[in-house]
Amino acid sequence: ESPAEFFADNKNIAGFDNPGKCLYTTVRELVENALDSAESIAELPVIEITIEEIEKRKFNSMIGLAEHGRVDEELYDDFETEKAREKRLAKEARLQEIQAKNASLGKKAKAPVAAKSIKSREASYYRVSCKDNGRGMPHDDIPNMFGRVLSGTKYGLKQTRGKFGLGAKMALIWSKMSTGLPIEICSSMKGQSYSSFCRLDIDINRNIPHIHVHTKKENKEKWHGAEIQIVIEGNWTTYRSKILHYMRQMAVITPYAEFFFKFLSEVPDKNVTARFARRTDIMPPAPLETKYHPSAVDLLLIKRLISETSKPKLLQFLQHEFVNVGKSYAERLIGEMGPDFGPGMLVKSLTSQQIVRIHQLFRQAKFDDPSGDCLSPAGEYNLRLGIVKELHPEMVATYSGSAQVFEGHPFIVEAGVSLGGKDVKQGLNIFRFANRIPLLFEQGADVVTRTAIKRINWNTYKINQAQDKIGVFVSIVSTKIPFKGTGKEYIGDDINEIASAVKTAIQQCCAQLKERKRSLSKYIPNATGAIYEILKEMSSSHASKKRRSDDKDAELLRQVSAKLVTEEMLREKLTQHVEQVDYEMALEYATQTGVNEEPRDDIYIQPLKTECNLTEFYSPVFVFRLIH
Amino acid sequence: MADRRKRGRAATDSDSDSDPVQFKSKLKPDSAILQTLRNLKSAASTSAAATKPLSLTDLNLSTTCREVADLPLASVQSTIESLVLALAHSILAGNGFSFSVPSRSAANQLYVPELDRIVLKDKSSSRPFAAVSSVRKATITTRILQLVHQLSLKNIHVTKRDLFYTDVKLFQDQTQSDAILDDVSCILGCTRSSLNVVAAEKGVVVGRLIFSDNGDMIDCTKMGIGGKAIPPNIDRVGDMQSDALFVLLVEKDAAYMRLAEDRFYNRFPCIIVTAKGQPDVATRLFLRKMKMELKLPVLALVDSDPYGLKILSVYMCGSKNMSYDSANLTTPDIKWLGIRPSDLDKYKIPDQCRLPMTEQDIKTGKDLLEEDFVKKNPGWVEELNLMVKSKQKAEIQALSTFGFQYLTEVYLPLKLQQKDWL
Repeated sequence: ESPAEFFADNKNIAGFDNPGKCLYTTVRELVENALDSAESIAELPVIEITIEEIEKRKFNSMIGLAEHGRVDEELYDDFETEKAREKRLAKEARLQEIQAKNASLGKKAKAPVAAKSIKSREASYYRVSCKDNGRGMPHDDIPNMFGRVLSGTKYGLKQTRGKFGLGAKMALIWSKMSTGLPIEICSSMKGQSYSSFCRLDIDINRNIPHIHVHTKKENKEKWHGAEIQIVIEGNWTTYRSKILHYMRQMAVITPYAEFFFKFLSEVPDKNVTARFARRTDIMPPAPLETKYHPSAVDLLLIKRLISETSKPKLLQFLQHEFVNVGKSYAERLIGEMGPDFGPGMLVKSLTSQQIVRIHQLFRQAKFDDPSGDCLSPAGEYNLRLGIVKELHPEMVATYSGSAQVFEGHPFIVEAGVSLGGKDVKQGLNIFRFANRIPLLFEQGADVVTRTAIKRINWNTYKINQAQDKIGVFVSIVSTKIPFKGTGKEYIGDDINEIASAVKTAIQQCCAQLKERKRSLSKYIPNATGAIYEILKEMSSSHASKKRRSDDKDAELLRQVSAKLVTEEMLREKLTQHVEQVDYEMALEYATQTGVNEEPRDDIYIQPLKTECNLTEFYSPVFVFRLIH
Repeated sequence: MADRRKRGRAATDSDSDSDPVQFKSKLKPDSAILQTLRNLKSAASTSAAATKPLSLTDLNLSTTCREVADLPLASVQSTIESLVLALAHSILAGNGFSFSVPSRSAANQLYVPELDRIVLKDKSSSRPFAAVSSVRKATITTRILQLVHQLSLKNIHVTKRDLFYTDVKLFQDQTQSDAILDDVSCILGCTRSSLNVVAAEKGVVVGRLIFSDNGDMIDCTKMGIGGKAIPPNIDRVGDMQSDALFVLLVEKDAAYMRLAEDRFYNRFPCIIVTAKGQPDVATRLFLRKMKMELKLPVLALVDSDPYGLKILSVYMCGSKNMSYDSANLTTPDIKWLGIRPSDLDKYKIPDQCRLPMTEQDIKTGKDLLEEDFVKKNPGWVEELNLMVKSKQKAEIQALSTFGFQYLTEVYLPLKLQQKDWL
């Protein structure tokens, strides 16, 4: 069985369970590829994604199938027999009668029950296209990048967005299975005078690309990036909200990217367009590739590392293929392995038993924890910006934890907690991110959900779990996210290291919120209302009594009855005072924490697009641009 | 070994039914008992006449203490008004506003042995609106002030529950509005009843008492078995008359029912009062008024457990929560008639009717031993020590083992005859 066949048979494990989910996952894979591609050349991502609904008639003409009308109606599943028709009509008539009666009685009519449309099992088709401004692909590599599924993990270890490393390949397999239509790729790399166009599909049995067209075109606009178009079966109706949520949350975690989302339907009023604007041009550094930590490898992995290594001797192998193994430490390890082993021994000559011995020692020996330097967290700044941008909360606090380790893989937990905002429901709203992609499914079992609901005592922070609009954002990055479930949709709650890091991060945010909670203003109307009521009562009764006519109290009451002092005025004055106190508190807070925080402006100004000659020097951490 | 023999004998004794009879035979004729009660009453009234009730000002205490007084409605109203005017001025001057609230925390409370009650020291805390920690309380305080102001204008009474329901959204739950109401009492320096806010009726009274409730004369011997509900606001109550010889304070509703149904007050002229558990303000005010106006001795019938004694202490010394008003709420000199820990053996209450004390009970008992109001009465200390040592408690209903009417026909008459109170 070829790897392509394996995934075709088990497409659910890659998130292709049903047509709706397939549409969602296809969008996801394309968006994530595009982001990776742009980030790899340190370009601020601009991504356009379009889903176009294709009517059956149009689809048939696309594949060159003649339109066939139904001849034998009874053959079809949705055929309605005479009897069933009568029954349905009678039922509808009855329903109308009841509604008319209710309406005449002035009763509030129930939401009119839409006459259930007879369930159609007809498939719907969509063209999904995604355009980015990324690196693009080398002309000759394009067929293999789409039309060949490679099994096994990559040689190096790196924090990646993709969960399976399949990317658009799985989408291509699905299009092959559902529509049979090929994928179209248009790509150009920076400084390339041409752009590549390729149309291909995949030979699933042989796991090789089947190329229809592969040409070079002129690239006048000096465009670089990729544009991918694919036609698949899907279901927009049921996955509409998931896809939109995905885009929104993606915008939260990548505020430095610009997303255009379009859904085009045959019926124009069903069209959806959404633009998620860029709010910052600060990008987190690209994740670095790192070596495995000795405690994170299994037997198979050791064997693979041995077969792929360029270091012939055991000592060098240990020293160079793993992190946190220095020369002297490698020597000590070899000494500990037993008399059969020596530093100069050839790694390729190790027997299976000897490899088991090495594995055993890796498990038992003590190694320094891997550092988190190879990870690329979203960063507190980006997380905060994303939350503010998408939710407009009244308050937000963020926290970034230090790197921790689970089974030899470093991980970093970042969290944000927001209060209030638009389109936020009361209670806990949980947003989960793993390696900077949103997780939308199987929320209930996830470590973040469980921690937020069960292990955080919100009352301690004066936050009402049931009534306040709480947004909880947790982003976990790692070289290996310990996903659970077939579709890798959630992170299990059984890993103590992660659970406690998540808890700490959320608590830190809450503590910040508690310190700065400015809930004062919501009480102002209550307080001033009560005071004004009393003043009003007094002014009306005092007017008749005319006593203490010359002191300031009487003057105040006179002003109240003359409407010179109103409730609004009290409210305004109190609000001013509260703001004053708030400001003083904020200043005090800032001086205490040693940060001179200017009132932060949330305007983002796009840099002027001037064409200038640059020489760029790339490093995994930064890009150095020299302007001529 | 000895212990088992004793217990065995107790069991056979109670089986033989000889016990109630044995105790009953000790009873003298009612006339003799009545004579002792008359002596008790005259002693109580003379002592009440002799000792002029002390007040805080008489004492020259080193720490200044705070007490509230009953204020007429008009002055409650004017106090609120001048407070609110001050608030308004402060807001208009751009200074926000703040309350100075007397602290009602345990640290600010003081037991005054001379007065035999808890009073409040003079510490107070400020409650500014423009602070995160106090904004809620400050807001609720203004709202309560406004509501009380309305009550004073219209001269009506409402219950604490009514008050809560006027602004559920702000108050969230009744404990919050109740607590602030007590704060408002302290701020204004008046009793809670002066605010025209009362608790729902809880206590009941039956027996030889006639008083007027809002102008209607009530004869508590003619109130059936349930008795008369004690009016929530004491200012409605007046013109107390009675030919009773003592007041019998009962902890539990069940014992009260028994006494009322058996018309115990006709055999021994008395007034029977219960608050059905922890006493509310109205019952305490009512008891105090009876004690002060009728000069009757007060005998208490509570469970033989730490909580029985706690309830007794609330009647006598006041609760911590309402210590600012202890002067008006406490009734000094209540005699502990029963059921006392020593009664368990004295009246041979069988083992199956006694309950073992829980850890919590024992802890409460030991804590009580540290309390001043217990310590000053050596008899009580002895009883409490016995309770903690035997680790047994019993409810008033335990006496029903000898028949439902044992309480009214044997136990209480015998106790009274023997002057067995502490």
